[in-house]
Amino acid sequence: MRRPKILVVDDDPDLVRALRLRLRANNFEVATATDGYSAIATAQKERPALIILDLGLPVGDGFVVLDRLQNNDALAGVPVIVLSARDPQSNEERALKAGAAAFFQKPADNDELMNVIRVSLGAANEQPAPWPS
Amino acid sequence: MTQTTTKVLLIEDNPGDADLVRLRLVEGQSPVKVNCVSRLSDGLASLTSDTPSVVLLDLNLPDSRGAETFRRVMEHSPNVPVVILSGQDDEALAMRAVHSGVQDYLAKSNLSSKHLERAIRYAVERQALLRSLEIAQKQQLEFKNQFLSHVSHELRTPLTCIHQYVTLLLDGISGPVTPDQADHLKTVLKSVNQLHAMIRDLLEATRAESGKMRIEPRCVALGELVQQAVAMLRPTANEKNVGLEIGMDQRLPLVHADPDRVLEVMINLMDNAIKFTPPDGGVMLQASMVDADPSSVYVSISDTGRGIGPEAKALIFERLYQDPESVDNNRSGLGLGLFICREIIRLHEGRIWVSSEPGQGSTFTFTLPVYSLAKLLAPVVTYQDSLRPSFVLVRIELTPLTNPPRGNWKETWQQCLEVVRRCVYLDKDLLLPPMGTSGTTETFFIVASTDLQSSGIMTTRIREQLERVPDLKTKCTLTITTVPVEIPSAGEAVALPERVQSVADCVTRMIMATRERQQLSAGKSRRDSN
Repeated sequence: MRRPKILVVDDDPDLVRALRLRLRANNFEVATATDGYSAIATAQKERPALIILDLGLPVGDGFVVLDRLQNNDALAGVPVIVLSARDPQSNEERALKAGAAAFFQKPADNDELMNVIRVSLGAANEQPAPWPS
Repeated sequence: MTQTTTKVLLIEDNPGDADLVRLRLVEGQSPVKVNCVSRLSDGLASLTSDTPSVVLLDLNLPDSRGAETFRRVMEHSPNVPVVILSGQDDEALAMRAVHSGVQDYLAKSNLSSKHLERAIRYAVERQALLRSLEIAQKQQLEFKNQFLSHVSHELRTPLTCIHQYVTLLLDGISGPVTPDQADHLKTVLKSVNQLHAMIRDLLEATRAESGKMRIEPRCVALGELVQQAVAMLRPTANEKNVGLEIGMDQRLPLVHADPDRVLEVMINLMDNAIKFTPPDGGVMLQASMVDADPSSVYVSISDTGRGIGPEAKALIFERLYQDPESVDNNRSGLGLGLFICREIIRLHEGRIWVSSEPGQGSTFTFTLPVYSLAKLLAPVVTYQDSLRPSFVLVRIELTPLTNPPRGNWKETWQQCLEVVRRCVYLDKDLLLPPMGTSGTTETFFIVASTDLQSSGIMTTRIREQLERVPDLKTKCTLTITTVPVEIPSAGEAVALPERVQSVADCVTRMIMATRERQQLSAGKSRRDSN
């Protein structure tokens, strides 16, 4: 089976490298971008199954990226996990309303992050089941 | 040079004194406009309609006497300077007034126009200075809070990087590590986690200080939180060989509290207790009711540590306080934990305190408000001063298909709650506030003033409406159950509030039974999946 591809968007190249190593070790393919503009361009080219997105980005911050993704028919269904150093109290709800599937504050627990990635990927792939009685 | 006119509000009921003061004011060098009233109420009205430059205030008026008089004026207009006109007999009182913020006091017996003019001018100047000082302090606090919030954000970025690379090494992703190397890396990780906790506390304390800390109170069964807190700290206690015990009143009422925040307080207090308890000692977490205060639940954490001296006891909840005799001085943290606990409890309108004797251990206690179902139920279960004939409890359970739930589970169940809210009759049904998640199942309860037979219409409508929520069936299972509320029959003699209370008690017992069943099955499914 093909390994699902994850797009990591963060302006800290060291963190991008670390996440790439961890995701590869967990059997994912990885694409990367370090600003808002190239995030959209890379998403269109690479068609990732999931996106990990920082909020504080140059050339279009995370909220701009979320907005563009939501308004792009080909990308609107791709689950986005926000991974940001920003305060959840003022950003989590906003990110979820903008279409993110989950919000993690940095530094995030790796096991929790991997778990949510798997669940989000599962949900995006499944067909709606009949209502269980 | 043109001088601005000083507007004086003179509040004085003795016509002779009032005339004298007015005369002295007019005699002075600078232009004044005097408005004289004889009652405090008229004075306050005048303060509202036409703010004066200064208030000259007699303390004993027909509608207010003594300290009460200046207290009310200052409460009404904190930015207007007040000068007290005192008689011979109340100089002590006038002095007290100056201590509480009144600008000056003058004895009516020897009032010269020069004195009066000078007192007024200085009072106005001092008040203006105080005001600008206050504004500057406020700006400084705001700046400090913004700075701290920015710093804590910036610190997270490099910390995240360290955390990622250390865990890459520890998890063997970058290649095998020797047991010694793994041990060293674990020490690094422990420090990273400590640093992370400090940054979190810094931000949290900043929030508390600037009034931006928020709580989301719900109806909470404290027992579950106690179990969670103990489970989370069991490993730390075991590592140090400290016993961890729970003492719970079996029938504790539900409390009105933010479960995440209360858990945070319990964990913080227990973590401290374990830290300050020597090996082979014990920590006890208790939740109970106190006869004298039936509207609160008391939660206390006791340890068998070295106790806290009276000096530390007075300061321990203050920001940045650190016990100078702390055992583990190099790792004592920022001294913000207890301050944050106090702020969280304060937002719950509870109290927190410590009792301790040096050498005898310490007990930290906090209170949380009891959730009063009877108060919520009263308007819907009564009609024309009597209890409605029958009630049912409708239980709606949403159980996610996966753990953790897919997507934004909170948004999903909140959307469902909104749908359910639209299906109830406001005057005879009550949708109870969310009960807090048990395992992952979200449960809503409705107390409906109807009988079992007629309740079917409502539950059918709820099911139909919920099934229209987009994608809900891919996220969770839906169960709706209806049970009659069996109220013990009461004679005519029993008063209505007590009958409402008995309905509330009955509903509470049924809710608790549901929670226990859900906990059992959540525990079972956890064991099955292990």
